[in-house]
Amino acid sequence: MAVTPEQLPETADQYNEDILSVLRPPTPLYVIAVLACAGLVGAAVAALLVQTYWGLGTTGLMHPVMWGVYITTFVFWVGIAHAGTLISAILFLFRATWRNAINRGAEAMTVFAVITAGLFPLIHIGRLWKFYFMLPYPNQRGLWTNFKSPLEWDVFAVNTYMTISILFFIVGLIPDMAAARDRVTDWRRHLYAALALGWRGTAEQWRHHSRAVLHLSGLATPLVLSVHSVVSWDFAMSVVPGWHTTIFAPYFVAGAIFSGMAMVITVLVPVRKAFHLEPYIRDVHFDNMGKFIVLTSTIVGYAYGVEYFMAWYSANPYEQMSFWHRAFGDYWWATWIMIICNVVVPLPLWIKKVRLHIPTVWVMTIFINIGMWFERYVIITTGLAHDYDPAAWGYYTPSWVEMTILLGSFGWFFMLFLIFLRMFPIIAIQEEKELFYHRQVAGGTH
Amino acid sequence: MATVLGVLSSPGATADALHGLRDAGFEDLDAFSPVPSHEIEHALDRGPSRVRGWTLVGALTGVFLGYLMTIWMANDWQLVVGGKPFSSIPAYTVIAFELTILFGGVLTVIGLVVHGLMLTDSKAGAYRPSFSGDEFGCLVSCSNEQIPRVQELLNGVGCKEVRVVES
Repeated sequence: MAVTPEQLPETADQYNEDILSVLRPPTPLYVIAVLACAGLVGAAVAALLVQTYWGLGTTGLMHPVMWGVYITTFVFWVGIAHAGTLISAILFLFRATWRNAINRGAEAMTVFAVITAGLFPLIHIGRLWKFYFMLPYPNQRGLWTNFKSPLEWDVFAVNTYMTISILFFIVGLIPDMAAARDRVTDWRRHLYAALALGWRGTAEQWRHHSRAVLHLSGLATPLVLSVHSVVSWDFAMSVVPGWHTTIFAPYFVAGAIFSGMAMVITVLVPVRKAFHLEPYIRDVHFDNMGKFIVLTSTIVGYAYGVEYFMAWYSANPYEQMSFWHRAFGDYWWATWIMIICNVVVPLPLWIKKVRLHIPTVWVMTIFINIGMWFERYVIITTGLAHDYDPAAWGYYTPSWVEMTILLGSFGWFFMLFLIFLRMFPIIAIQEEKELFYHRQVAGGTH
Repeated sequence: MATVLGVLSSPGATADALHGLRDAGFEDLDAFSPVPSHEIEHALDRGPSRVRGWTLVGALTGVFLGYLMTIWMANDWQLVVGGKPFSSIPAYTVIAFELTILFGGVLTVIGLVVHGLMLTDSKAGAYRPSFSGDEFGCLVSCSNEQIPRVQELLNGVGCKEVRVVES
């Protein structure tokens, strides 16, 4: 049922009380959820130890498919990270005030998703302790990294994205940490006081804080477009059939926003229910995010079509073979999961009534996330499994080690998010209160 | 010198109080607020934040270092491939772009810490927890002789409470 504006708090202080009430002691269900996630992480760590001890032979990676579940999952989590920056930076610059209730949760999701993504290239290289070879550090061999390589671009792109996302997240949290510091009485008071960095809400502090948020938004906005473009160039800059195409950058960016928005809904629906945040995270938020999903699903569907069209129109037998193989070859099942989940499943969201039926939207977003993981799986494995020489064709099957680490990444992401939920305000208090005062000036209704 | 604090309940009322105090000749003013407010910012009229300078310097440093690092390293460790130039500016633009954002962002936050967070301890005594809730504070520095006048002005604009923080 739609929540009316009258259900919003009557006083500004009520925002503090409502939102900070989420930080109450955990329930048994919450503890079980965290432990379940930690269990998945533990299993993944065990699998990683097996892989580290025995080597990459414990994975399904074998010539010709040397990129598999790890790179798929890396791209997936980088994509998930995009919605947070879109909501917090781009919608901030566009003054879309509906973002206020969901931007903190989306930003947290961005930070945790990009941290999760960053683990996968390390896991993928097998010898974890050699990761620093990708960094340009002075060494006695006089050897520098190759900056013409898209893989090197990725190191800079993902690390920049992670750093800026974390900074943006922390800067946004500062005033709310002060609000938490002023109300919490247990040991967390010291934590919030430290994180508030001496915040007292003086006009001078707000003047600099507002400017810093504006500038960070301006800096983060091109990152939304650039990070997944750079990730897409890991593929598009090569000459592998199915990869070498100029549509990859916009196609990947749209896909990233598509999957990121879906994950925001997947996460926020149970959070809203569990913490009774219906007056803040309202149906209009899901309606607007549903519109984003419809738009980006359409772009992704168009990109799928263009890929097949270009394969046919190019008259290039390798491209044609590659795309025929995708749809009707060994990986037909993965391709059709991708198309159904990403293009067909979101179609009912064109109807407003469906967008406002939250349980239906929630189930759709889970299918969309499955579809988006398979999109990357299809692009990566089908391209490598069937390239130019039929004698070199192969088939990739992930091993239990890879699948355990994949599941562990979900456990890791949700564990971090659950811990965040109990430690920090899930809704940006000061931004909600800002709207409260604007509404008062506009006409006294709130 | 004395400091007088007036407690108000909205950003508009706080801005009105600040305007009134400035019109009466008081220049050393500040405000506490649970939310950012353009009205209060305009009332204090302090001009643009110096954080913007940090962002600019960071971004320019990033783009400069991005190109310098890639071009220098490519020439220091030369990859001789098919007669191609050692330095490839289009490829290095990606690195320069990322470092522009990275340095711009990091220096923006350092600027915020330097100007907005580290240099405000003098206001600590006047702070109260309700300023992160639903109350606003109007802080006036004046001479001891001016305290009654400031109290009169603050009471005149509807302050819920007026008190001398320091005298």
